[in-house]
Amino acid sequence: MTANKYSVLNTRVHNVDGYAKVTGRATYTFDVKLPGMLYGKILRSPHPHARIISIDPTEALKLPGVRAVVTGKDTLGVKQGIWRRYPELCDEQILTIEKVRYIGEPVAAVAAITEEIAEQALDLIDVQYEVLPFVDDPMEAIKKEAPMIHEGVERNVNVTRHIEWGDVEEAFEEAEYVREDWFKLGGQAHMCMETRATVASYTSDKKLTVYTSTQSPYYHQALLAGVLGLRESDIRVIAHYVGGGFGGKFELDASQFCASILSMKLSKPVKIVFTREEDFVATKRRTPMYYYVRTGVKKDGTFCAREARVFSNGGAYTGMGATALYLTGFFHSFPYKWKAYRYDGYRVYTNSLPSTSMRGFGAPQAMFCSEQQIDWIAADLGLDIIEIRRKNAHTSGYEVPGQATIASCGLTQCLDKIEQWIKDRGKLPKNRVIGISAAGFMTGGIFNWFDTPYSFSSAVVTINYDGVVELHVGAQDIGQGSNTTLAMICAEALGVKLENIKVHSGDTDHCPADLGAWGSRQTLMAGNATKMAAEDAKKQLLEFASAKFGYNIVYDVDIKDGWVYNVARPERGMHYVDLVKEALRGKDGQRIVGRGHYTPHRKGMISPAYSYMVQAVEAEIDAETGKISLHNCVTAHDCGQPINTLGLIGQLEGAASMAAGYGYLENMPVEDGKVMNPNLVDYKIIRAPDMPECEIIEIDTYEPEGPYGAKEAGEGLTNPTAAALGNAIFHATGLKMKQAPIMPEMIVNAFKEKKKEGGTP
Amino acid sequence: MEKQLLRFYVNDQECELFINPKTLLVEALRDHLGFVGTKRGCDTASCGVCTVMVNGMAVKGCSVLAVQVNGMNITTVEGLEKDGKLDPVQAAFLDEGAYQCGFCTSGMIMSARAFLNETPAPKDTMEIRRGIEGNLCRCTGYNSIVRAIDAVAKGKYREGA
Amino acid sequence: MIHDFTYLRPGNVKEALAMLAQHRDDAKIICGGQSLLIIMRQGLVVTEYLVDIKGLDELNCLIYDSRAGLKIGATTTHRTIEKSLLVKEKYPVLVAMEEKLASIQVRNWGTIGGNLAHADAAGDPAPVLIALNATVTIASSAGGRSVPLEEFYPGLFETVLSPDELVTEVLVPPPPAHTATAYQKFNLLESDQGIVAVAVSLSVSDAGICQDARIVLGNAAPIPIRAKNTEKLLIGNKLNEEIFTKAGETAGEEADPVADIHASEDYRRHLIAVLTRRMTKEAWEQACQV
Repeated sequence: MTANKYSVLNTRVHNVDGYAKVTGRATYTFDVKLPGMLYGKILRSPHPHARIISIDPTEALKLPGVRAVVTGKDTLGVKQGIWRRYPELCDEQILTIEKVRYIGEPVAAVAAITEEIAEQALDLIDVQYEVLPFVDDPMEAIKKEAPMIHEGVERNVNVTRHIEWGDVEEAFEEAEYVREDWFKLGGQAHMCMETRATVASYTSDKKLTVYTSTQSPYYHQALLAGVLGLRESDIRVIAHYVGGGFGGKFELDASQFCASILSMKLSKPVKIVFTREEDFVATKRRTPMYYYVRTGVKKDGTFCAREARVFSNGGAYTGMGATALYLTGFFHSFPYKWKAYRYDGYRVYTNSLPSTSMRGFGAPQAMFCSEQQIDWIAADLGLDIIEIRRKNAHTSGYEVPGQATIASCGLTQCLDKIEQWIKDRGKLPKNRVIGISAAGFMTGGIFNWFDTPYSFSSAVVTINYDGVVELHVGAQDIGQGSNTTLAMICAEALGVKLENIKVHSGDTDHCPADLGAWGSRQTLMAGNATKMAAEDAKKQLLEFASAKFGYNIVYDVDIKDGWVYNVARPERGMHYVDLVKEALRGKDGQRIVGRGHYTPHRKGMISPAYSYMVQAVEAEIDAETGKISLHNCVTAHDCGQPINTLGLIGQLEGAASMAAGYGYLENMPVEDGKVMNPNLVDYKIIRAPDMPECEIIEIDTYEPEGPYGAKEAGEGLTNPTAAALGNAIFHATGLKMKQAPIMPEMIVNAFKEKKKEGGTP
Repeated sequence: MEKQLLRFYVNDQECELFINPKTLLVEALRDHLGFVGTKRGCDTASCGVCTVMVNGMAVKGCSVLAVQVNGMNITTVEGLEKDGKLDPVQAAFLDEGAYQCGFCTSGMIMSARAFLNETPAPKDTMEIRRGIEGNLCRCTGYNSIVRAIDAVAKGKYREGA
Repeated sequence: MIHDFTYLRPGNVKEALAMLAQHRDDAKIICGGQSLLIIMRQGLVVTEYLVDIKGLDELNCLIYDSRAGLKIGATTTHRTIEKSLLVKEKYPVLVAMEEKLASIQVRNWGTIGGNLAHADAAGDPAPVLIALNATVTIASSAGGRSVPLEEFYPGLFETVLSPDELVTEVLVPPPPAHTATAYQKFNLLESDQGIVAVAVSLSVSDAGICQDARIVLGNAAPIPIRAKNTEKLLIGNKLNEEIFTKAGETAGEEADPVADIHASEDYRRHLIAVLTRRMTKEAWEQACQV
């Protein structure tokens, strides 16, 4: 490990929000209480597909304590969506007017003086439905005879995506071995510890304040303006602390919409908090997919051609599903060089809860298929699983044709490290086996589907008399530690101690616009903006220092650890705080302000930078019962320059826990459009005794596009685990598990099938 | 329905409530007494974010009627800090970064504190893991939390250490 | 949302029984409430009177007597049983079961009486206690009775209790000589609800013959059931791998499992077979050493 050349970066620091969180002082939307506040509840459709004939709130309005009932007819009826640039993908009226398209879809909302009364009122709202035939599987929904879910959308195909390079047919001709497989990938619930929650307060001066659990206050400000007919700047979104997001909290949801509508009607604050059941049933989830993969390789393991087709279960609305469809196809080629590649994705509407982004964004599904098939091919050809990957691995400078240029890439080193770890691990205890998976991921997206006129990230740095730096960012901390990471970048760039930085985020009234926390963008994009702002401020400070010092023009002046100095003679200088005082006087009492921003330009089709990793999972498989337990999870990881050391470890371990859930625990069966396990008894989340020890091996690379060479860490890490587990099972038992999550009953059944067939499946 | 008069201690402070007997302990603490450090996260007593201590025992505030703690000592996360000094568990959580979004943290710290009070010298980290088995965390993957508890158990935060 | 109720807090068992006699079906008993409160919050249980017996210290006890065996008062918490050195010495399988029951928070407040009265098919204590041949003592203002736990459950979520009756204690006979009880539940996560569970209690004669067997299947039917055909295979024999395997197969056939999202009927039978084989072997090996 190279010695740390930075003062602040890659050191163990207390999270800047840590004190509030460990003392219970951090207040979430869940805790917000305003004077005169009412409580809202949402009436939801019991049918997967039905026309709404009438909604009669009369009886509900008679219940003492009920203040209002609203339906879609009380709204502007705007069809909204987060892909604002493409109106045809803005297909969701949150309080739907004509018909319902999934069980749990909101049809009405009530505000009352207590939560209990609001809930009782729901039973008194009389809704007449004309039940329609429904379809909840994409392979059925795409058939000609399937019920049409959205007007005019033929075969329920709402988005298609195509990625291609090279001559696929020719490359398959050249291949000496071809394998094809179908896979079925399940959905997954974000299961944030804080459910969806909003307190909306509309006042008669036509201003709306919205406290909400969000990954992007700016998105919600803009989206609400669009559906409520308000001016964007008249809406203030506040999110000081957010109890998790994982990709599920940057689209408009019913808590924000209904609370706002009710509040606007009553000019009183209205609070809506989803129950855990509502959070499971009526929010968007990870996209389930059917995956067809055909791969052609040479006998020596050189990859020639790959052809993939995905039919994703879009559920009732688009959400972020268009992005997930593209990314799964793109990352399905990762992290290898393919002579020819073709991907066709079809996102199919169904009458079930909509699917959207969830940590990994289509890549966990892609890796489950690709990485397992690679091991199967290696086994068929008698090749080493590391060697086959090394042979085809991305390298720095590689151009994914028409898609991306890979700048920094530590993949080969990752493979080397894992190979070494497996060797060093030696002979495993009985019933234990290791499986590996490689992966790579994006560091923020380049595409402006939200159609924002603002820079993707912005930052403002203001230096007070006492040297404390007010850092204003629009980046949202949802637990991943962005406040701390950005404070660290700011401190490093300015040359001061971390304690000097005060972070302001989570309030659209006081912070610049930022696209928010999704797609692993903030460390790079908000980090670059922060670095730029801090360097701008430093430059201004150094003007005063240079004037004061009067050194020969050939000498540089810099600031490090709060010391302003001549770079050639570091002992000569002054304290930063003293310089600040002089600069303030020099500017007629005005504080130094630095501004920064970042928007990716000309960075290909996907992302400005890519992280890489290889993970080894050591699992124990009880072949008789199918039970899986995890014992070790080691990841060789290239995120460029690590910034927030504790944050990075936390992200790795947290991602592994969520990815492990996708691999073998978080079964989410939906039958006839109904989520069958909408509670934490039946939906299994990993707990402390089941979590394996995790080890991280950092690979040193430098990403030119990232602040100090940094890339993403935390989302990419969700990609390999399910695949690595599948590979462990394959190496232990010979079974090829083509469905995620891998439930023990599936293993037992697979063994029975294998026995019947008397050979390899 | 007849309201019940309750008197109990929260963080050594005497509290008196006159409430509907169906009020859950977590509702009494949050909605009636303003101790919002303790959270709620599910409908099935599964997640543990509502964990507080009653007479030193970790319990889920969502599964205990407030009337049942009449006369008892409740400790919430707000009661751990003493005279401006963090409890060793809180200090350890800070040092290990044993939280991310923080929503499970109050309950997790209470479970950790109760566990260490009962088992000051756990025989291995698996015992620690079992000690927080009732608390879900979606962000951390638990390992940093286990490290924090282990550090306290190993005496890192003892006075004069 | 919980529906309103009138809260009653008896000062002793006699008062509690008088309240139950007076209100009968209009009353529900709460002790730890770890199961009851969840279903009350879901509106599945509505009651006019709630009789709170959590504070009845008379029923909070753990006493062992070499003649009578173990007496566990109904309001004794799971945690008390789990931490009892006495129970660990005499009935280690009870401690092992309690250690994997729900979570520490639940065990700190929930009670053995409340758990057994709730009659959840997936409940952990019942199969183990039935394997140990436990009985429950039931009191009412009209008198008392004793019911073997095996006969306590007529159906899913049902007990033989009349509305005016209360479980006051669980009695576990003193462990017979050369007897061991093994228990395992199958789940995906360590202390999770069991998808199925098996408890096997075996007694070995001095000659090395199995002289008694009690095999209880949990969550393999609406109520805990004895796998009597399986037991017959064992009694009178010296046990070996072949018999363990046959025992498993037979238990799998005796089970009457329900399919749900966690497991199909076939898979449950399969698990019962595997667990029975393993627990029979484990109990046998332990019994032969005791």
